[in-house]
Amino acid sequence: MPNRKTKLTCGSDEHTVHRRLFLQGSMSAATASVASFNGLFSIPALAEETKRSGKKCILLWLCGAPSQFETWDPKPGTATSGPFGAISTSLPGIQISSLMPKCATIMDKLAVVRSMSTKPNEHFQAIDTLTRGDKPRPPFTRPILGSVIAEQLGQLDSPVPQFVLLDPCPEGNEFKGFKAGNWAGWLGAEYGPVRAGGDYGIPNIEKLDAISQADHADREALRSFFSKKFENDQRSAAAASHNAAFDRVKGLMSCAPLFDLETLPKADRERYGAGAFAQHALQARHLIENGSTFVMVANGMPWDNHVFQHEMHQMLVPELDNILFQLVTDLDERGMLDDTLVIAMGEFGRTPWLNEARGRDHYPKAWSLAMAGAGIRGGVVHGATDAGGYEVVDGKADNQNLFATIFSALGIAPHEEYDLPGLPTFYRVEEDAEPIAEVLA
Amino acid sequence: MTSVKLEKTRDRRLPTGILGGSLSPDANAVVAACMGGVYRLELGNGKKQKLHAHESYATSAHWLTDGTVLSGGYDGRMRWFDLNTQKLQRESKLHDFWSWQTDVSPDGTLFASVTGQYLAGGYKYEPSPEREPSICVGDVETGEILHRLPHVPSVQSVAFSPDGRFVAAGNLMGEVRVYDLRLGELANRFTTPDFTSWGIIKSHCYLGGIFAIRFTPAGDELLLAGMGPMRDPMAGNGRQLWQRWKWDVAEPKMTDQTHDAESGEGLMETLAVHPSGEFFAMGGRLRGGDWNVAVFSLKNGNRLATLKTGYRATTLRFTPDGESLVVMGAQGQPTKLKDGKLPEFGRVEQYSVTAA
Repeated sequence: MPNRKTKLTCGSDEHTVHRRLFLQGSMSAATASVASFNGLFSIPALAEETKRSGKKCILLWLCGAPSQFETWDPKPGTATSGPFGAISTSLPGIQISSLMPKCATIMDKLAVVRSMSTKPNEHFQAIDTLTRGDKPRPPFTRPILGSVIAEQLGQLDSPVPQFVLLDPCPEGNEFKGFKAGNWAGWLGAEYGPVRAGGDYGIPNIEKLDAISQADHADREALRSFFSKKFENDQRSAAAASHNAAFDRVKGLMSCAPLFDLETLPKADRERYGAGAFAQHALQARHLIENGSTFVMVANGMPWDNHVFQHEMHQMLVPELDNILFQLVTDLDERGMLDDTLVIAMGEFGRTPWLNEARGRDHYPKAWSLAMAGAGIRGGVVHGATDAGGYEVVDGKADNQNLFATIFSALGIAPHEEYDLPGLPTFYRVEEDAEPIAEVLA
Repeated sequence: MTSVKLEKTRDRRLPTGILGGSLSPDANAVVAACMGGVYRLELGNGKKQKLHAHESYATSAHWLTDGTVLSGGYDGRMRWFDLNTQKLQRESKLHDFWSWQTDVSPDGTLFASVTGQYLAGGYKYEPSPEREPSICVGDVETGEILHRLPHVPSVQSVAFSPDGRFVAAGNLMGEVRVYDLRLGELANRFTTPDFTSWGIIKSHCYLGGIFAIRFTPAGDELLLAGMGPMRDPMAGNGRQLWQRWKWDVAEPKMTDQTHDAESGEGLMETLAVHPSGEFFAMGGRLRGGDWNVAVFSLKNGNRLATLKTGYRATTLRFTPDGESLVVMGAQGQPTKLKDGKLPEFGRVEQYSVTAA
């Protein structure tokens, strides 16, 4: 683990240019797409080491916020328990929801945190905080987790997208608004996600039949030469972004089959389950196996069950149970679990009490999540809530602790400083927040 | 008849939310299936007694003429409790998943219970086929299971016909199946698209369906209750909806439904037909508008009376003499303890019914 609070800079003039672009980038997603802080953290030796280690991450993004009572922190026999029971697991004395019988058998591989306690109580703010790691500090836009991991661990020259978002839902209420925003922040557009899933195919990546391979290559060489020349002559960030996009499309053309669910083995597809979330979780495994570094799997915002809490959770939780089981088991059997971090979380938890509409409302005060794989110690249940699940009584952890844990697990120094001359100081994880040591391997 | 007047005469509480229940034969008490167990409540003095508890929420309770209370629960079980001996007589595991709802035939000889877990069966979250028969019909006296009948999960509502020959069950997808219990065969089926939402805004999945079903007094038509489709199913703001279907013809058809301008927003989950056969009541939750319980004419479908109870109505029962309507339901669960205890949030109200 690198020393804490190290300050890393590549020492180039890039920062002078980037200071202006950075400010632009923080103002809007469109402008942000031209901003690039490639190499912001780069100590070549460290970067190479982390890349060689090949750490990857799959985030099962349970947007809308699942109920901890119907997943990892059931309260059987209490007024807040809900109608689903609790079952024993492979960890003696540990129970989880009866909706999760498969995960109950692999608790030795999972680390469950039952003591998340965060501040934002509304979706947009909570999604922002729990995907970026910290609250906003306008006008600066902190990069999302996937962008940081792609920048730190990814292979920018790989044809395979390093950060992929799989989400078939074009809407998603607050998540829709968030999706439209600036994900990569000051890291720049090349660290933003490639989106796929459902109708979000990747269009226009098939070479026209009317153009021969040789013609296609010649045209691309010509385009590349002139646009690079323009970029260099004019110091044009827009041209740089345009070129980056072209490079990405070139890569995508070569790996289009990775995005075709139909190419995945039927038995695997059946094993993961028929729903979009399950299919894309399998696709995430496939992408990770083939060179992606971070894949975020979402399905709109289905967990926000202010009404029909139990009617929805009867379906969503078993699906999650199976997905997590299949993913962790698959990665383990393929020898990939030690290098692949799997996280299953939402943006907060749900209230202990049921509202009149038989739903559970937002509850950031005490909630749960689960992790497995790279850098994580399995068989751990960290923290605890009180008998009714109202308060965290042990091992309280917030978003900063969580991100320090994720970065530490992946071998990324959590407290490194972003070197932005003349600008406020930013660290990957602010305020010296400690990782949750108990869940780290 | 052009109007019905409802006037509150009693207001009682139970410790936890009520999901189902019925009146005693003399209509002086109720048995209530609650989140925290099955209770007997005297309407006159409010005296309550916890009879027993299922392993999860109790969802339905029927007070039979011999003093037996038959209850179903989210533990998939049916229980027979003898009020005379104050003992549990029998317990039967009917389903691997919940008993969503139960009904008892008008002559008290048969029970029916419906189940089904909604699980993803396709990319767009079409329900997967049932893993156990969704409808279970049995003998009240012996507990013997007489029929296990198929449907598509989740099956959320069930009712016997007035003559006890047919059982009808409605599901998440708005499909109604009517079985002839003499033959154990499907008598008819139809689907209404008007109660089910496919998530567009927040989610991609199905939500809603038919939450209450009742035969009309003549038995040839069915009343269905639920909520109209929504773009965001999790908003719970669909139209307060009932429909009436002529089911015993080759091509079942809808004959009436909630009239325009007579509905607000919210899930409707209970129906009761007045002993006179002239009107019925529907109740549920108020999400938007000004009522959550209303009475409708069986002659022309017009709304005759409304109530705004201030809590979610889960169960409506007319007294046998037709002079009262008992409303049972649940407020939101209290967020804080009071004097170290959770304040009571199960609600029972009695209303006098005057038809003019």
